[in-house]
Amino acid sequence: MTVFGMGKHGNVGVKTQGFATPLERLRDVDVAVIGGGPAGLAAALGASRAGAEVVILERGKRLGGILNQCIHDGFGLALYKESISGPEYAERLMDDVGREGIRVETGAMVLDLSADKILRVNSRSGYSLVRAKSVVLAMGCRERTRDMIEIPGDRPAGVWTAGTAQNLVNLQNLRLGNEIVILGSGDIGLIMARRLTFEGMKVKGVFEILPWVGGLERNVRQCLSDFSIPLELTTTVVDICGRDRLSSVVVSRVDEALKPLAGTEREIPCDTLLLSVGLIPENELSKRAGVELSPATGGAVVDEMFMTSVPGVFSCGNVLQIHDVADWASFEGFVAGKNAALHARGEIPTRGTIVRITPGAGVRYALPQIVRRSAAGVDLHFRVTAPRRNVWIEARGSASGTIFFRRKFPRLLPSELQKIKLTTAIDEDLEVAAHD
Amino acid sequence: MTDRLTCLLCPIGCELEVEAGGGDVRVRGHQCDKGIDFASEEVLRPKRNLTTSVPLKGTVDRMVSVRLSDRVPREMIFPILAEITTLRPSAPVRRGDVLIADVCGTGVDVIATRTVASSG
Repeated sequence: MTVFGMGKHGNVGVKTQGFATPLERLRDVDVAVIGGGPAGLAAALGASRAGAEVVILERGKRLGGILNQCIHDGFGLALYKESISGPEYAERLMDDVGREGIRVETGAMVLDLSADKILRVNSRSGYSLVRAKSVVLAMGCRERTRDMIEIPGDRPAGVWTAGTAQNLVNLQNLRLGNEIVILGSGDIGLIMARRLTFEGMKVKGVFEILPWVGGLERNVRQCLSDFSIPLELTTTVVDICGRDRLSSVVVSRVDEALKPLAGTEREIPCDTLLLSVGLIPENELSKRAGVELSPATGGAVVDEMFMTSVPGVFSCGNVLQIHDVADWASFEGFVAGKNAALHARGEIPTRGTIVRITPGAGVRYALPQIVRRSAAGVDLHFRVTAPRRNVWIEARGSASGTIFFRRKFPRLLPSELQKIKLTTAIDEDLEVAAHD
Repeated sequence: MTDRLTCLLCPIGCELEVEAGGGDVRVRGHQCDKGIDFASEEVLRPKRNLTTSVPLKGTVDRMVSVRLSDRVPREMIFPILAEITTLRPSAPVRRGDVLIADVCGTGVDVIATRTVASSG
């Protein structure tokens, strides 16, 4: 292990002014949690309550992650049985973390993670190494940008991702502009439409390229309909205009292949464009450790313990799969953290024989992708590819055709992460599909 | 008259069908009992919570986020916002502190949703 070699040899003659050199600073912990948002805080609690010595490494100045800027309510309905705001939800978890005596380092950025669970950390006190028996990945996600969806046009000021705008308005008291257009109907975009209306800005419309809304139904009603903000589906921004500052965008309807329809263009004067066009799990560290990723989720391939392809490395929250509700990211965290603690004590059996769960017709992905053979009571997450009504969800054995799960859902939306329980022991590969 | 509504009380967002007439409200499509009360309220007098953030004195953290202690009739949202705009609280603020009691006579308080120490 190169890192240890460096540590040992680093001792030679490099003590200055009585301080240990950074290279000497190696700490051992049972469980290192990377990220202190809704998933990471819960993972730390899960691990600590299972008896592990835990450290949370948080890049930001304070714990809570994205919850700090999500000042709207609707959090906590599943975890605390009441509707609270993001900062309150974060503080409640932080209070528990404090009570547990869990070690927290903020301003600590994990620069590298190796497959044998050595973390290189740049923190307020300098560079150091952490050697963990288990690691929980809880780094969250990033927003898709203008470049990633390739909107042509000028490059003026005034184009923001919705989450950045949320940070600037809610935490830094900045005014973004006067006339706003929002592209994409993800939840953050819908919530920002209401938020900017409250701040006295004119939201001229929300445009969504798909024929359905990206965010939750309730947000369409309480964030758009309540304030008569127009929502146009199968419509996208095809041009951005403005020399120094954004002066207008051109929107166009799209055909079934999502290509702009000539002749349907319309110019909308505005000084600000917000993009709410999807989230991407932030897996740079996972890749460094050699964690296998799923193209469908953008997150790690995990088993029913939330363990990745690297033994002892677990994943939860938005770095694993994009969630529509923070509570569920936390529930994943509690389980992943507990299992990380068990792994640290050598109490998680090696995988042995595995079976695979794959998505079938109408299902975008199913998670976990891998299950230990004969595991029972597995919580299975899935998303559908398109909105469906009165649809059967079926988990069927690929070899025998045995039905492991079958239930009719009155309505399923791609925006909603669904969770079902497979009560019986799984002893063959499964396919999860949606049927009329 | 039949109304189609999305229940706002939780992320499931049930599609509710509400028939109101003759002082009687009939609801279909709810997955829990809260949906019935929500639907009747929504067709008669919709209620919402309100969240925003206000600048804070005496700290490097510039803002404290606030919400209402309970939902209020929807038409009260903008009058309450105007009232909140006049707020200039000073740190320290604790989560749950009442910043405006009985705002606009609604019987509902404006409360802080974040704890901010004075040094920040």
